[in-house]
Amino acid sequence: MRTTLLFVAAILAASAPRIAAAYPQYQLDSDKTCTGCHLAPDGGGILNENGTNTAEATAWHPGNGQWMYGVSKPSWLDLGGDVRAAAGYVNPGVSSAAAYPMQAEVSASAHWNGFSLFAIGGLRRPQDQGSAIHALWSREHYLMWQSNPDGPEGVYIRVGRLEPTFGLRLAEHVVYTQRYGGYPLYGEVYAIAASIVKEAFEVHATGFIHDPIASAEEHGDGGALYAEARVGDHAAVGAEGKYSASDDAHRTYGGFTGKLYLPGPKLQLLAEGQVIRENFVAAGGDNVTQLAGYALASHPFGGGFLLDVGAGHFTEDTRVKGLFRDCLDAQMHWFQTSHIEWLLSARVELLDLGSHTNGGYLLAQIHYRL
Amino acid sequence: MRCAGLLLVMLAACGAQDPRQPTVEVISLEILAPSCGQPQCHSTSTNQSGYAFDTLAAAKASLKQLVGTGTGGPRGDRSLIGVITATGGKRMPPDAPLDPEDIALIQTWVNDGAKGL
Repeated sequence: MRTTLLFVAAILAASAPRIAAAYPQYQLDSDKTCTGCHLAPDGGGILNENGTNTAEATAWHPGNGQWMYGVSKPSWLDLGGDVRAAAGYVNPGVSSAAAYPMQAEVSASAHWNGFSLFAIGGLRRPQDQGSAIHALWSREHYLMWQSNPDGPEGVYIRVGRLEPTFGLRLAEHVVYTQRYGGYPLYGEVYAIAASIVKEAFEVHATGFIHDPIASAEEHGDGGALYAEARVGDHAAVGAEGKYSASDDAHRTYGGFTGKLYLPGPKLQLLAEGQVIRENFVAAGGDNVTQLAGYALASHPFGGGFLLDVGAGHFTEDTRVKGLFRDCLDAQMHWFQTSHIEWLLSARVELLDLGSHTNGGYLLAQIHYRL
Repeated sequence: MRCAGLLLVMLAACGAQDPRQPTVEVISLEILAPSCGQPQCHSTSTNQSGYAFDTLAAAKASLKQLVGTGTGGPRGDRSLIGVITATGGKRMPPDAPLDPEDIALIQTWVNDGAKGL
């Protein structure tokens, strides 16, 4: 039983997606900004009207993409929600199969003039031998003011619990630049965030403290900055920085992003690189430099399919020879309707260029958007 | 040319003999936290199977169970070394195994008496 629990816990590590996130694979072939499709200035969460239309336009059988297929609601209220589950293998050929729930959350945004109150609530995995109430939580809840509530451009100020804007912010949290970098799963903090979003550029600045009540992945206090400039119609370059200080370590992240869309072959290329400097104050001030990189090529086809091919690199400690790993990823999305997404994802992980024991996974996921 | 030579020397020096010390702090913060302390596995918020490695305090508490002190602690494939060196489905982490250099450092720390717990 214990082995089974250990395995189920471990398989989740390999599979859970970045929850309710956006798909930057579509950024440059349609709207240039996240706010073109989402209410939040950095994407994810509830779709706006254009985002709903885009979901319909990219689906195999679109149907009604509205929340709950068009159930009426007050005009001042936007609602959303996501349910995900997965099944598959971790370390295929060695481990046994498993199936499990991944996400069950609802979200709401009540808006009045330029102000809105946003919250996501739902379930998370209960702690072993923990109380049932632990399974209920709200990852994000914040008050937002935006200068232009009727359009995708403007200034946004957010105060509350949210994840600092940083990097590519791909849906799959196992992407090395997120798993080992500055945008981890459940990295929400209490923060004040300011964003300027224009078609030509966007800047996001966040000051934060870690959650003192509900433990999260981020244990430090600090700040994050992400800036992205669009170059022409189909390219963008970004710069990022983050600093976090906890009792155990002081971490400094610096990096870049690059995005290029090739209209001919309908290919979106995404890349991110980070240098991570860690000062382990609780380990006698040991200084470690890490490198994390990820590149992804995405191609939509067939009126509802999206193929991703990615590669990642992570150097755990530049001082130690051979202490690095690489991965090759392949993902096939099928947007069956504007509410239902099927995803088949596979990873091969190579330690020291495959000279040691390797890892990986093969998983099928279903995502239902309310 | 001198700059190029200096660069080559620097690159050659990069990634030499493992300079890390086999201490519980290094083991916990530099190896187990990023590899095992992921938020949906063994972090303080999820605490799967009663283990957490995302902070030094949590890691020490977990390592006491997995390594033990003195003559106590688990043995064989249920111990820390047993889990991270397993070749079958019991290996941890299953999707992203620890590097041999990390395992060697942990083994040295355990063989030295798992000091610091």
